[in-house]
Amino acid sequence: MLQPSNPHVWGTDSLAGQVRAKRIRRRVVELIHATGEGHYGGSLSMVDILCVLFSRFVDRERGDRFILSKGHGAPGYYATLVEFGILAERTLEGYGGFGAALQGHPDMTLNTAIDFSTGSLGQGLSAALGMAIALAQTPARSWVLLGDGECQEGQVWEACMLAARLERGNLIAIVDANGHQEYGFRRRGEAVQPVLNLAEKWRAFGWQVAEVDGHDHLQLTEALNDFSRFRLSPGVVIANTVKGRGSALLEADPDRFHCGRLTACEFREVMEELQ
Amino acid sequence: MSERLAAVCARELVSQARKNGQIWCLDGDLADSYGATQFADALPERFIMSGIAEQNMVSMAAGMAACGLRPWLFSFAAFLVYRAADQVRVCLSQTGLPVTLVGSHAGGCGGRNGKTHQSIGDLAVMGTMAGIDIWTPCDPLDVFHAMDAAAQASRPSYIRTPRDPCESLSGTAGDLRWLTDPSDYVLACSGLSAHWAMEARRAVADVGINLSVLHVGRFQPLPRSLPMLISSAKRWYVVEDHLRTGGLDDRISQVIGRHANAWFGWPTGWTGGSGSSSELRESCLLGSQQIAGTIAADVRGVA
Repeated sequence: MLQPSNPHVWGTDSLAGQVRAKRIRRRVVELIHATGEGHYGGSLSMVDILCVLFSRFVDRERGDRFILSKGHGAPGYYATLVEFGILAERTLEGYGGFGAALQGHPDMTLNTAIDFSTGSLGQGLSAALGMAIALAQTPARSWVLLGDGECQEGQVWEACMLAARLERGNLIAIVDANGHQEYGFRRRGEAVQPVLNLAEKWRAFGWQVAEVDGHDHLQLTEALNDFSRFRLSPGVVIANTVKGRGSALLEADPDRFHCGRLTACEFREVMEELQ
Repeated sequence: MSERLAAVCARELVSQARKNGQIWCLDGDLADSYGATQFADALPERFIMSGIAEQNMVSMAAGMAACGLRPWLFSFAAFLVYRAADQVRVCLSQTGLPVTLVGSHAGGCGGRNGKTHQSIGDLAVMGTMAGIDIWTPCDPLDVFHAMDAAAQASRPSYIRTPRDPCESLSGTAGDLRWLTDPSDYVLACSGLSAHWAMEARRAVADVGINLSVLHVGRFQPLPRSLPMLISSAKRWYVVEDHLRTGGLDDRISQVIGRHANAWFGWPTGWTGGSGSSSELRESCLLGSQQIAGTIAADVRGVA
């Protein structure tokens, strides 16, 4: 039996979690389609991770902080915050537009629900490390979600190296390893992973590493729960995911839907898939 | 007594940190070059040797500030401003988080270090970062003034300090500071160039010209009284340890609509080089006699 890091938020069973995740996915697709185009693939790949994090681990009352380092996944982040009552649904109106309550990428100056501004990739882990240092004398934890493409940024590894040296066990990272990036590397015409041997790299930098199916709520819970116990080393969960998860149409073309547009007909098809 | 201003800053920061438990000192592995070792020795539990990784250091400090701490970062100005420019833009300027950057070895006098370690355009870069206060102290008094202001501000700050040790100058520390009595001929300066200005003042005094020296300690935003003081001068000049673009003359001209009657700084197109401060200055027409000669000719031409 898994022991929750915070019993009062424990109790969401896997089925209920899947229902929530589907609701978040529908909101993501509606949100992006309403603006014309956006990051369907990377927003949908991380929904299960966010769902597990916010239902069972990120405890804002305890003082926990969460950073979406892969800021282009903002629609998935915003939809999750709404699902968990952290953001009011009305704040989504006109998202990304002039004067809207929420920017295309997370902006901490616009809403206190957003713990840090991101969008220029590779900076979130460093900020989360700073938060972990600041929270060291408290029970709070610092959580950060990165993309696997983002791990090409050198700054990620600067932070990775220092976090292990400083023994910041209250820092927990999750990598949404959906295996794609915007244009991407190719070998003989086939897309290859953004960063090869990702788990080995984090391990070599001194982190505790777990590798899980990033759409399996129980696997995610088990790995995160393990890292939530007191440790001297920071922990990272490499969550293997599918870009565009939840819609066969979106999953089939990760390049087009990295940042793309759905026709009205396709939108109806995707929404039916997500019923 | 002359001292490196970043060392003055580090020593004063220890005093501030003893009274304020939120203050931390982060260093980019150059602490022994500018005296941040004083903080490491005095308060090791609040000193983080962040490694040779300035980008991480800036974003990490922003994360600390987002949780209520007051981090002060030390490195060479060249590495803080240029290497971590995007981190300063995204994590400090766009968030407004109260992180203070102390850039040492700023400007063109880098000794044997050469061009990679000089920062002759850092004010231009930082000047485009909205919401960041920029301080260019010329002596220990100015450092204390800038530090007090940075500590009280709820926004990011950049304190630019030179490699050359600086002795104390006269006048009362402030955003704007007369280093001499005012006169009809004003030489405006900021940071290290205040000392070059005082040398030039002494040189023109030998030929009967009373040149006053006005120091701009707060570079961004510029002090409100600066345009009035400049405009009331009969002739005014600027000497700065910076390129013209984005420097003091450039900023003043944006406010009052005209450039200085003569300008002295690192020449456009110069990428820097090794040498003593006097060698570098003279090769770029920034020697005190060269400055004095140009100003004297200008004054005589007008007269």
